Amino acid sequence: MTREEVLNEIKERFSGDILDVFDKSPNRVYIEIKPESLVPVAVHVFRRMKARFNIATGTDVRHGIEILYHFTFEDINLMVSFRVTLPKEKLEIDSLAPHFKAANWIEREINEMLGITFKGHPDMRRLLLPEDWPEGVYPLRCDYEEWDKKAIRDRGL
Amino acid sequence: MIYFAQLIIFGFLLTAVIGLTACWIDRKVTARVQYRVGPPPLQPFIDIIKLLGKETLVPAGAAKTTFLTAPVLGFASVVLVSTLLWVNDINLSAGFMGDLIVAVYLLTIPSISIIIGGFASANPLASIGASREMKLILAYELPFVLAVAVPIIKSGYSLSLGDILAAQARDGVVAGSLSGFLALVVALMVVQAKLALVPFDVPEAETELAGGVLIEYSGTPLAVYRLMKNMLFCTLPLFIMMLFMGGLRLDGLHIVYGALKYVGIVALITVIRNTNPRLRIDQAVRFFWGPMTGIAVIAVLLALMGR
Amino acid sequence: MSFKLKALLKSPWVFHLSTGSCNNCDIEVLDCLTPRFDIERFGMLLAPSIKHADVLLVTGSCNRKSVKRLKRLYEQAPKPCLVVAIGECSLSRGMFIHSYNCPVPLDKIIPVDVYIPGCPPKPEAIIAGVVKLIEKVRGKTKKAK
Repeated sequence: MTREEVLNEIKERFSGDILDVFDKSPNRVYIEIKPESLVPVAVHVFRRMKARFNIATGTDVRHGIEILYHFTFEDINLMVSFRVTLPKEKLEIDSLAPHFKAANWIEREINEMLGITFKGHPDMRRLLLPEDWPEGVYPLRCDYEEWDKKAIRDRGL
Repeated sequence: MIYFAQLIIFGFLLTAVIGLTACWIDRKVTARVQYRVGPPPLQPFIDIIKLLGKETLVPAGAAKTTFLTAPVLGFASVVLVSTLLWVNDINLSAGFMGDLIVAVYLLTIPSISIIIGGFASANPLASIGASREMKLILAYELPFVLAVAVPIIKSGYSLSLGDILAAQARDGVVAGSLSGFLALVVALMVVQAKLALVPFDVPEAETELAGGVLIEYSGTPLAVYRLMKNMLFCTLPLFIMMLFMGGLRLDGLHIVYGALKYVGIVALITVIRNTNPRLRIDQAVRFFWGPMTGIAVIAVLLALMGR
Repeated sequence: MSFKLKALLKSPWVFHLSTGSCNNCDIEVLDCLTPRFDIERFGMLLAPSIKHADVLLVTGSCNRKSVKRLKRLYEQAPKPCLVVAIGECSLSRGMFIHSYNCPVPLDKIIPVDVYIPGCPPKPEAIIAGVVKLIEKVRGKTKKAK
């Protein structure tokens, strides 16, 4: 499949879900979609169009938290990233882990670092943070504050 | 009849000095082959002295008495067999009937002490190393015994070291004949495995098993183990020399020949060590039970036929 | 005691430990073992197990998760044992000083003898640091006399 065919198929099939398409460069395309339609789009791209799920990244933009899911089409050197913006009041989204195993660990990491609930994830545990990290404190948010009284943050000079 | 002074002087001091020097030669030649500068002289001595000054840690679930006495067991057997070999070498009639069997038996005890030490430390990596050492012993004892049978046959079916040396002084060295030469090749490969050197150092594989059998040893027990391994570097080539090359005759020019034979064996072991990768345990077992046993059997048959 | 330390200086066995580094310092430590900067001429060998170690080479800023493991490994190293901190991350956490995962620098967890700065330090710097360590320990034994 060529690059045009891939983009046209995504745009025609999911025209109701797509909010914005940003064609950045021959290798990178960013597509903004609604949070409810993440699972149908991801499953179609992964299963039917044989893309590879690479990674998911999460960022705290001030009005919400946005997650990007990166899918790669290796034959044509194309990476399509699906952007989902979640409002700060309702940080929930359906989990992709039941559909493909590659999403399991990255969703655990986004959950513990940014505080997003993934509905339907089979095994939501801590991945990187230690066991004695307090609940409800999310390090990668913009409003994270130092909670550790015993931390030493100067160089001692 | 072995006197206590002989035990200390020949069994321990002479063997330790020669063994540690041979270990230094081995490390220096290895370094030079790899285009490096090697360790300074007396480095193996300093290693042992430094280890004697470190504290000894016994792991929590280990069998404490076995853990601490396994190195002493191996060390004692090496001292004993060194004394036996040196005393027989110097004074040909000081041996007794069957002391060749005693020597072969005592030479397996160091490997067994390593196995016991590995299983006594409560560590899964040490258990893997010890079980691999067990398989290696099963593999190399068979061709070793067959190779040792060749000098026995050639010296008129006598089981005493003194008689074998006397027969070689009379008829010429065993390695000169075809069967003796084949048996010498087999014995050199087995010595490489007994010393736990590459390509057969799979029980103590450094990067693979984080130290293998010796992972939990520290301080004085580790010093005793290392001293035992270094002393084997003197005892095993001496054994090979006495069986196949006529021993180390101590009169006149023969000392130089003997020293050259010993350095030749050490150099051969170092060259084999530097030019080969490490074998897996199943490849090592297949190597010893396949080609090596075949060659040893052919050597025995040739010796029986008189060649 | 001074005799033990003197013997230790002539044949220090090195154990390399990374507490969450970016691995650049580890690569530089590995460079020291190559023929170009050969450290076996000082008698140093790479110890395969912590129980054979005389000198601990620690790289990386200490995460919360690796504090426990670092303390256990330091207790398992037979004393006398020297600790060398290599790279900026182990001196004072470097650029990770305000990170949520690195609360304290390394020398508040285990006692450090020599600090080798650099990001990453060159192998020549590592060898110079080890020489300074040897001189420092020798100076201590001379003073004790």
